[in-house]
Amino acid sequence: MSAASPTIEARDLVLRRGERELIRGLNFHLQGGRITVILGPNGAGKSSLLLALSGMLDVTAGAVYLNEKPLAAYTRSDIADVLAWQGDVPPGEFGLTVDQRLQLAMCSGLNSDIDQEKRLAACAAQDLLPLCQRSLATLSSGERQRVELAALLVRDCPIWLLDEPCAHLDIRHQVAWLHSMRDKANGGMAIIAVLHDVQQAAAIADDVILVYGDGRVRSGPAADLLIPDILDDVLQTELRLMEDGVLIADYSGTKMPDL
Amino acid sequence: MSERNLPARFGGLLLILAISVLFSLAAGERWLNPFSAVDVMDQTILWELRWPRLLTAFTVGGLLALAGAWFQVMLGNALAEPYVLGVAGSAAVGAVVMLAVFPESNLGMSFGAFTGAAVGIGVVMFFARLGPGRLLLAGVVLAAFWSAVIALMLALLPQGKLGLALGWMLGDLSSSVVPVSLLLLLWALALACGMLLSRSLDRLLLGEAHAAALGVDIARLRWMLLFAASSATAVAVTAAGTIGFIGLVIPHAMRLVFGSLHRFMLPASAIGGGVLLMLADSGARSVIAPAELPVGVITAFIGVPVFLWLLWKKA
Repeated sequence: MSAASPTIEARDLVLRRGERELIRGLNFHLQGGRITVILGPNGAGKSSLLLALSGMLDVTAGAVYLNEKPLAAYTRSDIADVLAWQGDVPPGEFGLTVDQRLQLAMCSGLNSDIDQEKRLAACAAQDLLPLCQRSLATLSSGERQRVELAALLVRDCPIWLLDEPCAHLDIRHQVAWLHSMRDKANGGMAIIAVLHDVQQAAAIADDVILVYGDGRVRSGPAADLLIPDILDDVLQTELRLMEDGVLIADYSGTKMPDL
Repeated sequence: MSERNLPARFGGLLLILAISVLFSLAAGERWLNPFSAVDVMDQTILWELRWPRLLTAFTVGGLLALAGAWFQVMLGNALAEPYVLGVAGSAAVGAVVMLAVFPESNLGMSFGAFTGAAVGIGVVMFFARLGPGRLLLAGVVLAAFWSAVIALMLALLPQGKLGLALGWMLGDLSSSVVPVSLLLLLWALALACGMLLSRSLDRLLLGEAHAAALGVDIARLRWMLLFAASSATAVAVTAAGTIGFIGLVIPHAMRLVFGSLHRFMLPASAIGGGVLLMLADSGARSVIAPAELPVGVITAFIGVPVFLWLLWKKA
């Protein structure tokens, strides 16, 4: 990990895909040690925002700065040294094994003993040790998601961009992953994660970016934005405020009524 | 696929190669023992007819297998290969067009084949953007169209060249116009090129977004693959016409034995494709000797069931 604290920053970022304006004027600054959570409805542009932040999608206007330098000044492989991106699970079509998938995530092309130890450690952390030599296509969705999380762990990137890291995970692994994120942030990493669970967002977010889907965006400290009126508006559903101040989705009324 | 025992597996492949070479030398209208032929006539058949022909088959088969492996990664579809995608067909059209315009120029023919292959890949890649289901559909329809164009060209070509052009429809290794030494050089070059790109190719197995996130310059890699796959297809078509399914069967089989990582599966495919076409050609000139079957008949009899099986497995 680099000695200086990693930073990622957006200045007046505008993102348009086709005719639709997804992001109109986003500003935020994230530095090592902190976690930013992106919240918003399906199709609002959260994944597009992550792609833009990682340089895989051209911004319409404004700029992204990585460690104080414009993203446009980096080559693809220089970005890959700094940023790790997690998205949809890769296709299982070509019969890659778990271990090979992790090899591909590693920066050095050499398959040294140190690299192998790192992969074993990542597999152990994600409870994948018995599955190491299995083909990806034979795993369940949750197991494949854990392979993607292990693929993040084997890389030495100081910044993570995570697109729904908890998708398909069972509760135990969701809880464990949030703890790993906090550990990594405490170790100096900067993390941005798209999440759907407001309870998880409230638990882990230091800062929040809200993406409304019509171009509107808001960013700021979690304490300022994770409040009922604002979240009801962006997520288009009424959340329930628990006695301890925690916000949760309101599922009341979905149980079969007593007759 | 685990990486243990890889040296033993490569040893096995080389052993199969050696046996196939001996078999291809021995098989034909007359069975000959390559170790004990003393007759001048037999020596001529062995070393001036069968040896260059088997080298042609080996290199063409290897190039087709490499092109198939590249297409599959580039398009993210394990069923892609030059023949099924119609790219071999478009290369043949390019070659026949140049043959009609410059009847004596082999270089012109190769250039025509390359241009045809590049155009064919361009069209296929355009349809690949519309979704994986469309890709093969477009390829099959285009392949039918290119055969129609060749049939049209044949009707228009002067009679003398007709036999040569006919051979392209189903593959013919008996009348290659490309020198064997050049074919060997291009085979080695294609393999070296694939090895240089192997790490980027591996990452492309994860899909474009993952590959880009891992530092692969996708646009550059696409152009290089486009050029490499067009060249390999063009050389194979110029030398031997349109031969199907080697590019499908071999990369698939080699992934099963050597795993998906390209630094292992590409060299295995370059050799395995060569072995398969050598054996197919030996069969083609033996089963109804003294007449010859077009070699594409044999590869189709092997390849179509494999294709259908893979399609079944995918669904």
